[in-house]
Amino acid sequence: MLEHQLIQSTGFRNIGPVGARTGFAVRVRIPNYHGTRLSQLDGFTVTVDGEVFPFEQNRLGIRDEVYTLAELREETTARWGLLEWGEILVDKPGGLVPGVHHVEVLARIRYSYFPPDVHVFPMHEARMATICVA
Amino acid sequence: MGSLQYGVSVYSYVNDYGSVMTLEDAFDHIADTGATGIEILGEGQVEGYPEPSSAWLDRWFGLVDRYKLQPTNFCAWVDTRVTLTRNLTVEEGAAELARDLRLAHRLGFKFLRPKFGVTSHELDPDPQWQAYVERNLDLAHQLGIVICPEIHAPTPIRHRVTQGYIDFIERTGTTNFGLMIDTGIFQDRPLTHWGSHQINDEARKHMAFLNGIKVPPEQFLDIAQYVVFIQAKFHDIDDSLEDLNIPWRPVMSAIKRSGYSGWLSSEYEGLRSPWRAIDQVRRQQVLLRKLEAEFDAGVLA
Repeated sequence: MLEHQLIQSTGFRNIGPVGARTGFAVRVRIPNYHGTRLSQLDGFTVTVDGEVFPFEQNRLGIRDEVYTLAELREETTARWGLLEWGEILVDKPGGLVPGVHHVEVLARIRYSYFPPDVHVFPMHEARMATICVA
Repeated sequence: MGSLQYGVSVYSYVNDYGSVMTLEDAFDHIADTGATGIEILGEGQVEGYPEPSSAWLDRWFGLVDRYKLQPTNFCAWVDTRVTLTRNLTVEEGAAELARDLRLAHRLGFKFLRPKFGVTSHELDPDPQWQAYVERNLDLAHQLGIVICPEIHAPTPIRHRVTQGYIDFIERTGTTNFGLMIDTGIFQDRPLTHWGSHQINDEARKHMAFLNGIKVPPEQFLDIAQYVVFIQAKFHDIDDSLEDLNIPWRPVMSAIKRSGYSGWLSSEYEGLRSPWRAIDQVRRQQVLLRKLEAEFDAGVLA
């Protein structure tokens, strides 16, 4: 099962080859109360220890696929189920130092049933999370 | 015995669901309140939506049978603004609704709440909604399902959105389309939490409805003939069984006097602290049944 909070403990990890890390991943449960077609997600801004990684650059990994923001915005068939996790993939050469970090995620969800000018709804959560492996 | 039917929406348990609660746990929690109906989010509780596996379907029917809960309402969404640059066509929107109607029917549901895209801060639905629904009225009739968009804050009862739905019912003469009332419209005191969001001054500024739009419960009587389902929205019931936001005494009185005899489906939307919803739902089920009994005994005006 998933953890109750948006940002999961497990899955906060460095990515890319050991010794030449390309970035890190943040595992999240769906930032919504129901399953969602991927085009209704409009990216995720991640902040680690105050350093901001804007949503335009981050990718979403779900199941065996990875989506850039442009791909996510046009993916009208694939969906994210309520019980599945996804991971936000963030470029950061060298990755993150093992240890405890302050992690924030601002997920941008689109609701057609919200007024058009505010239909991208920001869902924000923050927590301390731990990178285990360099 | 009262005439109302009591159910619970699994939406009440969101965030707990999938983390500290399974689908079977949800059935257990609901059945133990004495409720006899279960409401779900289609794209939520149905794993593999929109095409659940046969294994999942077997599990669903096993749970319905074991816990003796009747499927009530299936919540669905029409993603009108399907991408940032393109809206669904009428054909696509109607097809989504048809797909959900068939799935809801397969799972045993009798009501389907579609959430249409809106075009304004007063939640005017995208005008295409009429075509989506009209193209599906025959199908809904065949399947024995009533399509029921919800009247939800900040939209009150006396409003062009509500009237638009009523006009549609009158024009088509259909019995497969009606109103769902979300009791959040009767909220008369401010919220402190909205789901998982703590409400700050900024949120109150943008979403004034969080302070309650205070629809007079008596207005329920004006539209009761069109109402087919009630989502009993609430946020916080204290240890003395007092609801801190929804004035249930006049609301229950109006519902009973209207002759409404359908479902009241608990929909908790308060603080999303793990496990809090479970007891909050229990409290609301007790509160609502107590008030209905008081009305029936002639002690609730």
